[in-house]
Amino acid sequence: MSDVVSLSPMLGVAVIGGTLAIGAYGVVVIDRLLYAAVAGWPLSLAWAAAQPAREVATVIRRQPVTTEAPDMILWVLAPAAYAGLAATALSVVPLGPGVVVADVRTGIVVFGAAEALAIVAIFLHGWAPNSPLPMIAGYRFVGVALSYELLSMFVLIAAALPAESLSIGAIVESQQGLWNVVRQPLGLPLFLVVTAGVTFTGPLDIVDANDIAGGGAAEDSGMAHLAWAAARAAMLVAFAAAAAAVFLGGWIGPVLPGAMWMALKTLAVVVTVLAGRHLLARVRPERFVRLAWTVLLPLAFLDLAIAGAGSL
Amino acid sequence: MTLAFVVFAAAAVWTGYRVFRTDSMVRASFLLLASFLNVGAILVLMLAEYLGTALLFMMTVEMVVMALFMVMFMMNPAGLNPMEMVHQPRFAAAAGIGSAAALAAVALFGRFPANPVDPNAATIRALGSELLGGSMLVFESAGVTLLATMVCAVVLSSHRGRFGDGDEGSVAPPLEPGGDHRPEDDLVDDADGGHHMHHGGH
Amino acid sequence: MTLVTVLLVAAALIGIGVWGALSQQSFVMLMMGIEMMVNGAILAGGAFWAFTGGGAPKGQVLVIVAMAVMAVEMSIGFALVVAVYRARQVDMTEGVSSLRG
Repeated sequence: MSDVVSLSPMLGVAVIGGTLAIGAYGVVVIDRLLYAAVAGWPLSLAWAAAQPAREVATVIRRQPVTTEAPDMILWVLAPAAYAGLAATALSVVPLGPGVVVADVRTGIVVFGAAEALAIVAIFLHGWAPNSPLPMIAGYRFVGVALSYELLSMFVLIAAALPAESLSIGAIVESQQGLWNVVRQPLGLPLFLVVTAGVTFTGPLDIVDANDIAGGGAAEDSGMAHLAWAAARAAMLVAFAAAAAAVFLGGWIGPVLPGAMWMALKTLAVVVTVLAGRHLLARVRPERFVRLAWTVLLPLAFLDLAIAGAGSL
Repeated sequence: MTLAFVVFAAAAVWTGYRVFRTDSMVRASFLLLASFLNVGAILVLMLAEYLGTALLFMMTVEMVVMALFMVMFMMNPAGLNPMEMVHQPRFAAAAGIGSAAALAAVALFGRFPANPVDPNAATIRALGSELLGGSMLVFESAGVTLLATMVCAVVLSSHRGRFGDGDEGSVAPPLEPGGDHRPEDDLVDDADGGHHMHHGGH
Repeated sequence: MTLVTVLLVAAALIGIGVWGALSQQSFVMLMMGIEMMVNGAILAGGAFWAFTGGGAPKGQVLVIVAMAVMAVEMSIGFALVVAVYRARQVDMTEGVSSLRG
């Protein structure tokens, strides 16, 4: 790992910000396309590409409203913190051969810490408005989040075992012969569950869900609503990039340049997660908690055991 | 570097102080988390990268657990109403200032060897080798202790006790048939008069 | 950033923890005070490792033991709070001034 290109701070911020902005835009476009496909509408890329702008225009003209005695600082900071954590998580993921914004030795632990702090941001976003439904959504999310938090750490540590390093760049290098998705078949599905949970999409959309009138975002209006939606999309990009790097071999691939492979694999993960959003029903929180502790967590143990046996 | 340390240190102490001055437990627990995050950042500055990031990770999850507990035990789970729940404030403040002053005196007047860590050392690798090598026993003891903790926590917080449900007191059955003997009956001293009714034989 | 300055910060954190643990009535807040003390202890341990131990890995092991202590304190503490609450519906220290029954 001596040939790592560390970007200068200014360039690094630009790269992360640009990747997240383009990625978030892409997430919305792909989401609309999948929605149209599932609904049986005619597929039109032009319509989908204009959709983010249309939604921004709609939301931004709404009157900003507030609640009685909210914790204004936390309410404003929560989307910023959530987006900042998406940037932190992405900054330790290599975007091309040896190109990583923050080449820290403990990349995978930093990623896990960003994920855990995202749970705090989501909870505080629900708590801050001082309103019943967002608060219920926040507490409900914490209950569910604690049940899948362990999964992510186990599958990430399992991926770090063959690499003999906590750096994500080294984990990509270790997949030169065989991708982790084959070597540790349980890792990617479990990580996708965590991805759906932290970005609350699809079956795990229990935070901003319709059954509690929009949940954590029920009291958001105007720009705040927009910021929260953008931060959600950015977090999905960061998690998809991590899944691509840790389980799908990152930049490794023939013919195309490394960064291209990384982008394609990230895109594939985004499409998978968003397809789950439109094709799977939302699970009830208490059912998912039971499933997570009794089925998914033992599977994560098994994943770790497979990784350990494979690294002997 | 020095500036970063001053910022993190000031933030750690200030948020730590605010933990016990704020009127909401949710704010208190996340201020405590902020204090831990700043301590983690200082650890990273001191080149203990693994410890610093592990502290971030661990304390975040722990504070989330704390937030979950708040909904169960607070009179006001949203926690946005003012409240004041302190006792013996003067004594506590004196004890706090006294212990801080004593420790600060140790820091200021103690003699410590100067042997700083080498910035280029592979500290994380060394820590891993130490944990699974020389300090294996320590590490394993911590693991077994945590396992015992899990068992104890489940036993303590389990709804069903040895003698029935927890919210009914989980008391031992009566020694004689038909009695409703409760353990605290034995512990009441006779100072509050001899009017205490004993059931059963006499 | 020297050993003395870091130790002063740690001393302040431990002092705040003592003050909080002694003055708060709620069990949850009391535990936060204890956590704050361990927070300071972890910082002091890290400082000794970085400035006087020459990076000996055993110093980091000590900090990891302190973290394990914190996890044990937290989980047993909350389990006790649950048990006490089940038995008497109190969450304040005054409610269990006698530990009978």
